[in-house]
Amino acid sequence: MNRILPLLIILAFVLSSGCTTRDIAAESDGNKIKVGIVFDIGGKDDRSFNAAANVGVQRAKKDFPIVLRDVEPGDPTSIEPALRAFAQYGYNLITGVGFAQGPILKQVATDYPQLHFVLIDSVADLPNVASLLFKEHEGSFLVGMIAAYKNKTGTIGFVGGMDIPLIHKFATGYEEGARYVNPKIRVLKNYVGITDAAWNNPGKGRELANSQYEQGADVIFQAAGNSGLGVFDAAEAYNKFAIGVDANQNWVKPGHILTSMLKRIDNAVYSVVQDEVAGKFKGGVHVYGLENNGVDYALDQYNRDLIPAWVIEKVDQAKRDIIEGRIKVTDAMVQ
Amino acid sequence: MFRDIFNYTLIASTIRLATPLILASTGGLFSERSGVINIALEGMMLAGAFTAAVVTVFTANPWIGLLAAVVAGVLVAGIHGIATINFRADQVVSGTAINILFLGVPALLSGALFASTGATPQLPRDQVLPDLLIFDAQSSPMLASIFNQKPLVYFAVLVVALSVYILKRTRFGLRLRAVGENPEAADTAGVSVRGMRYSGVLISGALAALGGAYLSIGQNSLFTRNMTAGRGFIALAALIFGKWDPIGAMLACILFGFAEAISIRMQGTVDIPNQFIQMIPYILTMVFLAGLIRRATPPKSLGIPYVKE
Repeated sequence: MNRILPLLIILAFVLSSGCTTRDIAAESDGNKIKVGIVFDIGGKDDRSFNAAANVGVQRAKKDFPIVLRDVEPGDPTSIEPALRAFAQYGYNLITGVGFAQGPILKQVATDYPQLHFVLIDSVADLPNVASLLFKEHEGSFLVGMIAAYKNKTGTIGFVGGMDIPLIHKFATGYEEGARYVNPKIRVLKNYVGITDAAWNNPGKGRELANSQYEQGADVIFQAAGNSGLGVFDAAEAYNKFAIGVDANQNWVKPGHILTSMLKRIDNAVYSVVQDEVAGKFKGGVHVYGLENNGVDYALDQYNRDLIPAWVIEKVDQAKRDIIEGRIKVTDAMVQ
Repeated sequence: MFRDIFNYTLIASTIRLATPLILASTGGLFSERSGVINIALEGMMLAGAFTAAVVTVFTANPWIGLLAAVVAGVLVAGIHGIATINFRADQVVSGTAINILFLGVPALLSGALFASTGATPQLPRDQVLPDLLIFDAQSSPMLASIFNQKPLVYFAVLVVALSVYILKRTRFGLRLRAVGENPEAADTAGVSVRGMRYSGVLISGALAALGGAYLSIGQNSLFTRNMTAGRGFIALAALIFGKWDPIGAMLACILFGFAEAISIRMQGTVDIPNQFIQMIPYILTMVFLAGLIRRATPPKSLGIPYVKE
């Protein structure tokens, strides 16, 4: 009679691990290039960071004859087995999404020098790893300017996910952009948490945004994964503005999302897959900034009416100034 | 600086943060007073949150979503009941299995329903549970901010009051407690140990699921993977902290909500590293637990399966 429990537990593990090694092995389709991607804890439905990476590989799958498999680790401990499983089955290009995979991917890439790896938001100093870095501070500078132009109360806000240097990069750029427009502006800064659970806590994101709106902020920039979706809920409830991140999130709550700080992970990932297919994979650090459209701000049918044309002109001028070095934006990770 | 932290929005925020905890912890109380450890509160909250969001997406009616969450919570609690009461499985193991199960089930089902892996589409504003408009926000912003809350907030208070009455004043409550303390004696007196324990476990599922639904279709407008972020475990701690008493558990939840609300307001206002500020709710809980609540005595038969002689 006591057999039901082990059964339950096995069932639980099978369900929670989702895509398992068997799944990865199942596809051995001739000579096609095999691409594996391991997402960050947020999962590919975060409508943001991971979603952007997913768009990139999906587009590559449409355009090139590749086999694509992905894994969404439920917790940090399942990242390494996922990366290793791809490597064991000889996937040609293995992508790790997110800074947290840095040390793990480096280890796996050392063990499999004949395979190619892609690491997003972190650097692994190996010839078979392409490390993709983004100048988030530059894109954040532009949305900070837009926030300050839209601002009426003298206070704007920032809600970050995990309190780490990478997210400080967004915060610092945003603050500098806002100060560039209005030197006296007050910028409230909050972080959801200090562990990876911070990316998946929309309740806390909502509560942080509530408190910032109550302190007078009328625009909040969120860089908080799934938790940021709680910031959008608060923007709608308080009838104020929020700014999206990574992917174009303007559509999520139309009329309340002023713009989105785009981090074109999709384009970056796509071009690495393209190189791999063409046999031109290049290891080393690849940096994406304003100059090569790696970061930008989003303008589409959802927010065109929210931003006046003269603001767009000013922001585009600042964009040129940053590219040509006339404006220097602090990179919080370099300091 | 002081006024940035301590103002009426702190009270409103405390209430919002404490509500899901109170619902889950009162639920856990019924299960544990009947003698069944309920470490599965987290999984039951996730089940409720997910079901509420999914059903609301399809019916565009959050009240039906809420009802569905209760049904889901009861079903999940049923699994716990069958494993621990019928098959006398280890209650902690069964609870852990349920928690792990509900990390995976939403991902699986949302894949089938929305071609996503763990998130539901975001609901429009008019399809989440509305705030009760008791005070006018223009003329009395303070009262409006504190009292214009989701109906579930008031329901949680009602549940606590009812629990006190049920446990202390009704035959059902007496029997439930008897079964948790001394099932042999209760059985001899003709009380169905199995029936009482099932009632306790199923009630805990229903209430924990409501706590989860508050997160997905009340405070927020969608479900995301593992969105409870440990609230089920905090509710369980509050239950122990509150000495398995409805009022005590509620106060513990409010304390925790208050500590979290303070830590939210201290971030960026006070010159203390964020890592320390984020520890406040946990440190406060430990200090209170060690200092004020000297000894928490669990129901005597908690965790012990009952074997009828």
